[in-house]
Amino acid sequence: MVDSDNTQLQHKASADTFLPLSRVRTIMKSSMDTGLITNEVLFLMTKCTELFVQHLAREAYTTSCAKQNSDTLKYEHLSQLVNKSKNLEFLLQIVPEKIRVHEFQEMLRLNRSNASDEDEETCSESESEDE
Amino acid sequence: MVERIEDLNLPNAVIARLIKEALPEGSNVSKEARAAIAKAASVFAIFITSSSTALAHKQNHRTITAKDILQTLNELDFESFVPSLTQDLEVYRKMVKDKKESKANNKKDVSAGDAAASSSSAAVAADNEDAT
Repeated sequence: MVDSDNTQLQHKASADTFLPLSRVRTIMKSSMDTGLITNEVLFLMTKCTELFVQHLAREAYTTSCAKQNSDTLKYEHLSQLVNKSKNLEFLLQIVPEKIRVHEFQEMLRLNRSNASDEDEETCSESESEDE
Repeated sequence: MVERIEDLNLPNAVIARLIKEALPEGSNVSKEARAAIAKAASVFAIFITSSSTALAHKQNHRTITAKDILQTLNELDFESFVPSLTQDLEVYRKMVKDKKESKANNKKDVSAGDAAASSSSAAVAADNEDAT
């Protein structure tokens, strides 16, 4: 959280939200066993999600995009950030790193040959191959 | 309930605007990156909701409170959000209080905003929850 001071400085407290509350409520309800959602909790979650959007964009831009001398934020900048941030681990399957078809086929091939050799180590081996 | 899966998407225009605000002048965002951020935001909301719910249940509460959410953010390494959110919450609580008072004083119509879809008893319930 390098930019925490930064976020605070730019932040102006306000009771207005940009994202639609009703949509955020639907999203919250889609999670199982969410009980009653009070207006206050709904407001907080909406604000929180807005902060998250800006955090994600800013971090991806400063850590990957700007470093690669690009002024366009691209998908790969996001997946790079997700891949190396511990608190974004929950997004690993949502924003995965893309690979090419021939890379994937190569992975499959390696996987298969490993599997025939020694079944147990397939998992750990294939993981280390990726990197 | 969720009828269509698109109901879980956040509006593109709002997401685009939030991103633009966060980035320096003159920077661009690819369509794919914007879609990924929108999707990530939905998942983030679900993730924080279910973590907060788990936290509330652990304390034998049935519904989540603002405190549960802030504590969850701390635990999940998003502590940088907490100061800003605490400020927002103060402003929001003051607004709700003012609204209630002005309603009680003179039955003048204060524009309710799109939040007021559910009854104001929910807000009262929230205040009670926080007090405990």
